[in-house]
Amino acid sequence: MKAKRVVGSFFRHLLLAILAFIWLIPIVWLFVTSFSTDPGIRTTHFFPEHWTFLNYQKLLFQPDTVANFPAWFKNSMIIGIFTCIISSAFVLMVSYAFSCMRFPARKKLMSFSIILGMFPGVLSMIAIYFVLKMFNLTDSLAGLIVVYSAGSGLGFLICKGFFDTIPASLRESAKIEGASELVVFTRIVIPLSRPMIVYTVINAFLAPWMDFVMAKLMIRSKDPADWTVAIGLYNILQKTLIGQYFSIFCAGGVIVAIPISILFIIMQKFYVEGITGGAVKG
Amino acid sequence: MKRFFKALQKYFADFGTAVSKGDIWVKLSLIIMGMGYIGRGQVIKGLIVTALEAGFVLFTKNISWPYISKLNTLGTVQREEVFDPLTMTKTVNDYDNSLLILLMGVLGICVIVAFIFLYIANIKATYRVMLRKKEGKHVNNFREDLRELINDKFHITLLSLPAIGVLFMCVLPIIFMVCIAFTNYDAAHQPPSALFTWVGWKNFLTLIQNKQGSTFGYAFGKILIWTLIWAALATVTTYIGGILLAMLINHQDTKLKKMWRTLFVITIAIPQFVTLLLISKMFGNYGIVNGILQQLHITDFMQEMGWISTSYVPFMTSSGLTHVMIILINIWVGVPYQMLIATGILMNIPSDQLESARIDGANKFQIFWKITMPYMLFITGPSLVTGFIGNINNFNVIYLLTGDYVTTDASLAAANAKDVDLLITWLFKITSESTLKQYYMASVIGIVVFIICATLTLVTYSRMIKGDSEEVFQ
Repeated sequence: MKAKRVVGSFFRHLLLAILAFIWLIPIVWLFVTSFSTDPGIRTTHFFPEHWTFLNYQKLLFQPDTVANFPAWFKNSMIIGIFTCIISSAFVLMVSYAFSCMRFPARKKLMSFSIILGMFPGVLSMIAIYFVLKMFNLTDSLAGLIVVYSAGSGLGFLICKGFFDTIPASLRESAKIEGASELVVFTRIVIPLSRPMIVYTVINAFLAPWMDFVMAKLMIRSKDPADWTVAIGLYNILQKTLIGQYFSIFCAGGVIVAIPISILFIIMQKFYVEGITGGAVKG
Repeated sequence: MKRFFKALQKYFADFGTAVSKGDIWVKLSLIIMGMGYIGRGQVIKGLIVTALEAGFVLFTKNISWPYISKLNTLGTVQREEVFDPLTMTKTVNDYDNSLLILLMGVLGICVIVAFIFLYIANIKATYRVMLRKKEGKHVNNFREDLRELINDKFHITLLSLPAIGVLFMCVLPIIFMVCIAFTNYDAAHQPPSALFTWVGWKNFLTLIQNKQGSTFGYAFGKILIWTLIWAALATVTTYIGGILLAMLINHQDTKLKKMWRTLFVITIAIPQFVTLLLISKMFGNYGIVNGILQQLHITDFMQEMGWISTSYVPFMTSSGLTHVMIILINIWVGVPYQMLIATGILMNIPSDQLESARIDGANKFQIFWKITMPYMLFITGPSLVTGFIGNINNFNVIYLLTGDYVTTDASLAAANAKDVDLLITWLFKITSESTLKQYYMASVIGIVVFIICATLTLVTYSRMIKGDSEEVFQ
């Protein structure tokens, strides 16, 4: 019996190792290619023959007419920070209203928001483009910030599920002492939901970094300095450019991936908790 | 439905009572909205409401009405430039801009509807103030009203900004999109130089009919079928794969659980536009996979066997094989994500159920099929449907993977589509990569996808609400 278990355990780990190997091949290839001296796609060797830091140096310090990574990174960072602040505030506000307050039409509003939130924004993207054009916001960072954050109030479900678990007696006793709802919200509920806030903030920050389609649609400028990381990196993989820029693309990918991976791994813990918290609560 | 009409009836009946039974101040506020408050000493509130009314009248009269009045034709005056050789200047006539008429018209109508609601609510509120005064109860002064906004009415403070955002970015665009589907807006009718106008249901017919000179009907059928097949396969494979992987990692004998999980999570932490573009290049005709296959003489072997006619394996450039590759690559993309969700849920399976099943002599497969899977399905059932909807709209995977794909089907190409397109990528290509820019067709496709998603959402959601099975697993 024990021997059988050891064998089973061995095969289980072997299987996991093989799967992890398959899953990591592209990541490793991205990483090693970013150090390649060959600017185009290598077709014969998995690992580059000669190694160099030149791609990073070109990417970070020698922006040219096609690749302007410092500007892209700055644009994405500005969008990320503002989106993060606005979306997090919206999500927390809506969650508190739906979770802790009781008012007529609360249930109806919630159902309506959930149904509306299930419609993907990508679908009405042309219409969103026209709306922003009317306000003259296309081709600008402000426009993208609006796109990413304006509708974010609909993503309240997980956060509301968390607020639901905070005992109502805490809020009530504060109110008996004379605290207003505003004070309860900022002094009691928010400090108690730190893990949820970390999750919400990281999630809101990452959304614009991960997005490709909205940025591609909103930014029509031909000047590379106006682009975000996603559009810029997509552009240097065009057929005419890929021969000279593939390694640089990989270097850019690595630079973007490192901070995001770190944030993601921090968030992962809260993610698992958040999802189940929301799911079981319904 | 019956309840809805009853509520509607009550809504207007209350309004009627307020108007007929209200005193002179309530009646005055039918014209000047603030009077009902001013007459009871709530001067500042009265002034604010009156200012709102004045703002609405000015906005509608001066800004939105000129557009609303042209909504029926979407403008009649074409833009004309007259060049005056004497002064060397160009003069442009006072032309109509169809797009602006449609946008501002819809916005203006929304404002009017919102105002009507506000108006009715206002009359009712002034009537309530009158009753309070009559009964000798306390009537709030302005400072007390403000205090209410951070107390009993705090939800209004909290919800108004997010609600405005949602109205502008979700609701308004949806209304526009529906409107554009009934027009002939494309590159040939592009404001400001040209006008577009209403065409009725014609665009919807174009999409389902197979007419001479238009291949939209053909392309739509093909793409719709692939979209549904893709969404079903992508959802099911990643879902089952995710659960199996999560069980493998969370098995009691597995060492270093955290490390394994992190290894897989890294792949979703890297933005999709990086990994997907990279993988599409790896499997490209002259990419590294083909290079290695050539070195190993597998390509030669396949050529001899007559499986391929090219000197490379067309992973991402041939119909059929590309479809399979997309689903396989999507497993790579989606399984770690599902694994994370499944991990959280697996940890919460009531262990006493597993224990008692084991004591009763159930084997591993029985436990998996009779306890684990029903539990997972119960909790993740709704997310399975949202996953399906998400995959119908999975723009990234298709668009980033199939950039190099060239369709050999002339009918599809004529409609700006490829064999591997989903409805959503097709929509995108029609608007931003084709020269014809048939916005109206894109809108029609958008509405069709919308209806598919909405039906699925409503069916699940009503199940979710109705479901009295909530306590089954508690």
